[in-house]
Amino acid sequence: MKTSVKKIVTAVGASVALMSAGQAAADIKVGIAGPMTGPVAQYGDMQFSGVRMAIDQINKAGGVMGEKLVAVEMDDVCDPKQAVTVANRMVNEGVQYVVGHLCSSSTQPASDIYEDEGILMITPASTSPEVTGRGYELVFRTIGLDSMQGPVAGNYIAAQKPERVAIVHDKQQYGEGIATAVRDTLKDAGVDIAMFEGITAGDKDFSSLVTKIKQANVDYVYYGGYHPELGLILRQARQSDVDAKFMGPEGVGNKDINTIAGEAAEGLLVTLPPSFDQKAENQQLIKAFNEKGEDPSGPFVLTSYAAVQLVADGIEQAQSKDPYDVAKALRSGSFQTPIGTVQYDKAGDMKSFEFVVYEWHSDGSKTPMN
Amino acid sequence: MQDLLYFFQQLINGLTIGSAYALIAIGYTMVYGIIGMINFAHGEVYMIGAYTALIAITGLTAFGIAWLPLVLIVALICAVIVSSSMGWAVERVAYRPVRGRHRLIPLISAIGMSIFLQNYVHLAQGSRNIGFPALMDGGFQFGSADSFQMSLSYMQITIFITTLICMTLLSLFISRSRIGRACRAVSQDLRMANLLGIDTNRIISATFVIGASLAAVAGLLLGMYYGSVDPLFGFIAGLKAFTAAVLGGIGSIPGAMLGGLILGVAESMTSGYLSGEYKDVVSFSLLILILLFKPTGLLGKPEVEKI
Repeated sequence: MKTSVKKIVTAVGASVALMSAGQAAADIKVGIAGPMTGPVAQYGDMQFSGVRMAIDQINKAGGVMGEKLVAVEMDDVCDPKQAVTVANRMVNEGVQYVVGHLCSSSTQPASDIYEDEGILMITPASTSPEVTGRGYELVFRTIGLDSMQGPVAGNYIAAQKPERVAIVHDKQQYGEGIATAVRDTLKDAGVDIAMFEGITAGDKDFSSLVTKIKQANVDYVYYGGYHPELGLILRQARQSDVDAKFMGPEGVGNKDINTIAGEAAEGLLVTLPPSFDQKAENQQLIKAFNEKGEDPSGPFVLTSYAAVQLVADGIEQAQSKDPYDVAKALRSGSFQTPIGTVQYDKAGDMKSFEFVVYEWHSDGSKTPMN
Repeated sequence: MQDLLYFFQQLINGLTIGSAYALIAIGYTMVYGIIGMINFAHGEVYMIGAYTALIAITGLTAFGIAWLPLVLIVALICAVIVSSSMGWAVERVAYRPVRGRHRLIPLISAIGMSIFLQNYVHLAQGSRNIGFPALMDGGFQFGSADSFQMSLSYMQITIFITTLICMTLLSLFISRSRIGRACRAVSQDLRMANLLGIDTNRIISATFVIGASLAAVAGLLLGMYYGSVDPLFGFIAGLKAFTAAVLGGIGSIPGAMLGGLILGVAESMTSGYLSGEYKDVVSFSLLILILLFKPTGLLGKPEVEKI
């Protein structure tokens, strides 16, 4: 008897909770998943700052179809296991649109869950081709692909006519993918690749690797991976008088590399999305960021802003909150965003997205090459 | 000639990292020698040493003190004090209450302590990499400038010399001093030493403090050598040092030194002549081989069942 009373109370409680959830659903929940903590949390900061600004401005301008956007923020630490947990929690929260994740190795497992559960996902940072390469209907991105970034880097190096090039990567999906793309481009250009070698992410001692690079007497070293390892490699290479030029993908292009490598970061080449914050048509938005005391110059701030805007515009265009309708609208339409005009192909990739080669300086600033 | 220089360069790289492993390995081996447990939180004590040294260096630089020997000595003293009190506290809080129980219990307690310390630093210092200022640049160059040049940096020399001094002091301490003699007695037979009037609790605490101080020295040196610290700094280093301790024969101090050097050289030779990808494969295969064919390690004594 007692248990059945308990059951009834639970059932009533649950239905009350459901009803109140039903009322709150007048808002549109947008899930934001990215690293708030962990070794690459600074990229998460860019993402969250862009997303919050977009939600703020869209709500101030009257919301989407008369409803307000509400952010549901979760931390995936850029860890594939955590990302899956976060994705499941998003499902439980009743989120229908997710802006995230950041690291390709997190985005990929999470996107399996979103696709199965009918949640639309736009990643503002994952560049691995596999994210959109599996024929998913609900997976989009507001950034280019490794397969675009690799050739940009490869062609740049090839154009400098180096005698020998070394390629190093961290054996992770992002790093190795991009390093392979660079190697293929260089091979096609007929450049001699003296070494292609993996390191262990999280390692600290690169003295043997640096010695090997020195012995190989290369002109360029391309590193596929993130800044904590490259920072140490740069620093240790500098101490051993390696005079090769280093280059890396956007995963190394943030100010934390300066705190690790110090002076050795001067002259590092980085492929980054173009500085959207320098574009004339974005100046009003940039002012809004500056007024909030936030830095809009990070590579993922405005891609994250654009991702939220695309969710909102997609809903407006489809005149429906069903993620499948929104996905259809995104594929058929053309949208004005701070990262330019966005048009999607069938896979969910932008039809055009360019990467630019920058030279990094030891004070954390960068200047475009060309 | 060039190949020879390359070989020596990799040898130097290996010996540098190996001597630091040896410093950390002492902590594992001494604790095992005395109470027969593996202190898995030792890697974290080393990490905390590196953080303390970094904080001290940053603090001194902020006050405008930049005279290198002074900065290093102050950083070293701070690191040793904080780490050794940490080592003492860990033993007091996590190991002493469970001492004498089943062997697994202190082991689990140690792993818990390690996770706790790692996350504590995550909270207190943030999870990002923090860079050490470059204090000691430059070094000696060998070989002609237009081909491969072997370099021996001042930092590497400092690591060799400091390790050598620490090891000599430790050997003297263990063989000559009163506490050292007590340490040896306790490691031979804890209960008998107790009966003969040795305060074994104090000796065990002393062991933890000595191990932690050497780890702090390694923390300062390696932090400066690599150039950055993060809260996971101690995990891999701890694992490697533990391997070194087992390789040399756990419980034996000269064994830990030898094991550290062998491991360091094996690692750098593997990444120098094979590929960096096989570095950890080789070092842990070495461990498995030693455990299979000489379970007591290179310099370890076979354990005699105490009746």
